Amino acid sequence: MTRISVGDASMTNILARQGSDLRAQVQRAAQEVTTGRHTDIGKAMRGDVAPLLAVDASLARLAAYRTSTTDAAFQAAAQQSAVSGLSQLAAGITMTLMGARDVQTPAQVNATAAEARGRLASAMGLVNTQASGRAVFSGVATDTVPLGSAEDMLAALETAAAGALTAGDVETAVNGWFSDPLGFGLFYQGGAALSAVPVAPGETADLSTTAMDPAIRDTLAGFAMAALIDRGVLAGNAEERARLAQTAGQTLLRTEDARITLSARIGTVEARIEAARTRNAAEETSLGILRADIGSVDPYEAATRLEAVRAQLESLYLVTARVSRLSLTEYLR
Amino acid sequence: MSVTSALAGALSGLSATSRQAEILSSNVANATTPGYVRREVGLGAAVLAGHGQGVQILGVRRDVDRHLLGERRLAEAGTGDRDVRAGFLQRVERALGSADSPSSLAARLAAFDQALVEAAGRPESQARLNGIATTARSLIAGFAAATTDIQTARAAADRRIGEEVTRLNATLQQLHELNVNLRSFTGAGRDVSALLDERQRLVDQISAIVPVREVPRDLNQIALFTTGGAPLLEGSAAEIGFTPVHTITPEMTQALGGLSGITINGRPFDTAGSASPILGGTLGALFSVRDELAVSAQGKLDAAARDLVERFSGIDPTLAPGAAGLFTDAGGAFDPLDEVGLAGRLRLNPAADPDQGGALFRLRDGLGAATEGPPGNGTLLSALHSALTGARPLSSTGFPAGNRSFAALASDILSDAAALRLSAQSEQSFTAARLTALTDLEAQNGIDTDREMQELLVIEKNYAANAKVIQAVADMIDTLIRLDG
Repeated sequence: MTRISVGDASMTNILARQGSDLRAQVQRAAQEVTTGRHTDIGKAMRGDVAPLLAVDASLARLAAYRTSTTDAAFQAAAQQSAVSGLSQLAAGITMTLMGARDVQTPAQVNATAAEARGRLASAMGLVNTQASGRAVFSGVATDTVPLGSAEDMLAALETAAAGALTAGDVETAVNGWFSDPLGFGLFYQGGAALSAVPVAPGETADLSTTAMDPAIRDTLAGFAMAALIDRGVLAGNAEERARLAQTAGQTLLRTEDARITLSARIGTVEARIEAARTRNAAEETSLGILRADIGSVDPYEAATRLEAVRAQLESLYLVTARVSRLSLTEYLR
Repeated sequence: MSVTSALAGALSGLSATSRQAEILSSNVANATTPGYVRREVGLGAAVLAGHGQGVQILGVRRDVDRHLLGERRLAEAGTGDRDVRAGFLQRVERALGSADSPSSLAARLAAFDQALVEAAGRPESQARLNGIATTARSLIAGFAAATTDIQTARAAADRRIGEEVTRLNATLQQLHELNVNLRSFTGAGRDVSALLDERQRLVDQISAIVPVREVPRDLNQIALFTTGGAPLLEGSAAEIGFTPVHTITPEMTQALGGLSGITINGRPFDTAGSASPILGGTLGALFSVRDELAVSAQGKLDAAARDLVERFSGIDPTLAPGAAGLFTDAGGAFDPLDEVGLAGRLRLNPAADPDQGGALFRLRDGLGAATEGPPGNGTLLSALHSALTGARPLSSTGFPAGNRSFAALASDILSDAAALRLSAQSEQSFTAARLTALTDLEAQNGIDTDREMQELLVIEKNYAANAKVIQAVADMIDTLIRLDG
């Protein structure tokens, strides 16, 4: 006689297995609901985690670019304000100097020269601007200001112009000194131009303007010529002194274009940095959304799953309780 | 036919039902004992000189399904094999870090990348240069930790092989002794069910380690062969030899020496490949972890480490050609012939590492720079970043070739680890489902207390009926005796 019989252990095994399986599912769903992250990201992405890692790497890099664009923007702004400061200093005295020969008395020329000397010091101060401890016109030697003191420069110029008898001689000497690598080139304490600064993936901003830039150098030359008058060059020759003042004014007027061009160039860089910054921020936002999309659990889905598994587990408990009471032994008492 | 023979028949009925009750009680008591097989008393009509003489006990039968048992053992071996492999691959994936964990190799790399960009934007900042050194050290630490994890897992596999082999030898010895006992007990006609249960349990243990085929022999004897064909028990127990080692370094392999293979009765056998007789169970899987999976995982890690080293060598103009770049092989230049284990030997170049007496400015000015250069010079830092992000062919053969940036390589390696782990886990769940199904079937053949209780009712009734017969016979004899008096 064959009898159909099902061993006790069979039911126990099945119930225990289903119980532990459901409890594991509950735990997983609960963790996903509370943390919003997949418990097994590898499985969620079917073994190809490259997209997630690419997004994470881009986000990390964008955070770095956020820092470097802020720095670059700060430096460009400092350069810009120094250049516009130079323009203002020049504009404030150009007309006075231009009129030195025609309308001014020697005493007035002297006063203008004294003012030019003050302005030279201010201009050099502007060129020596530092932004958060970084000298902005020093090129790579960011720890040193580009120029020494105005008096040192004037002394050097006096030496260069020693023996000059006419305003023309002085002009030649001054211009020669400024374009001489052993003159202004040696006076410049900064380094080579800064290399381009990264502001966005594959994009750089050019902050290479130094105090050696012709626009800055020639402006300084203009101020210096006038200041030399105050130091006493061509002493006793009022006519030549007035002529030199006029030449200085002409130089400052002539370099106005160069200053505007420089200012525009720096402005372009600023715009470029700002554009990069905006683009980075937009990219960061969209990548953040993408990151949440591929790396996070849909909370509604996880909550629904949790609820479904909970109901299942409760049914299993009910079944377990009912089935365990189903025993012939119970009825044989 | 006499009254006394009726008494004898009823008595035989009583003893048969008592025996049935005894076996039934043993069944009920062992309802949840693993490895216990349900027994039944075999009954037959006793015949004496051509006449029925009550009931006789033919023996105790074990209710075992040999085919199912064999299938279940194979499934168990397969599950053991897959468990070991999947466990190891999961460990490798954890060692590299899960994709969304901040301590993963990819996250460490992203931090290093970030530090390079930030420093290139402001080369004079000591804090940012220090950021490069810190994140580079963290990247190195990630490689080192993954190497340690993989090699620890390898050492653990080697140690476990030793333990399994010891257990295998001990179990085979026990099986041999059981065989001897069974021969004499069976010869003497005694109930050997308990011994058979015990033997079945021991064979189960062996078959989890190495899948075996059980061949029955006369007098309840068995011979055991691995499914690959190596004899484990045939007359006497085989002696399996293996020598575990204490520490394992990446360079040690079974082929190049340093690690033990396996011998059976002194004869060496393959531990991998189609000729190996020990594959299919945990033992084979452990050998595979030690000799193949871990070696391949380490190879991939070393390939990445080598790529990292090579990316940063030759871009620093202050260094002599061939000198070690930012990442070094234990402080020195990397030798392409010595790639194995590189991931564990990576160090930051001492010249740029303040912890090793170097100076941070060399990150900016060049590792060979004697004195600090202009602080705003970001050329080299930008070059370092381009070296890290540029696509470059992989020079190592440890990982599929391709033109990749280092981030792409790292993410390929992480993806590879995740994919391997997932496919191992899907195989694992397949074998586990098969084992579950077979175990359920086996459990269904196990003790059903309801059925035993039904039998108990029958036994009770039979016992009462036999007793009633004895009482009736006694009354009949009494009646006869009273005729005298």
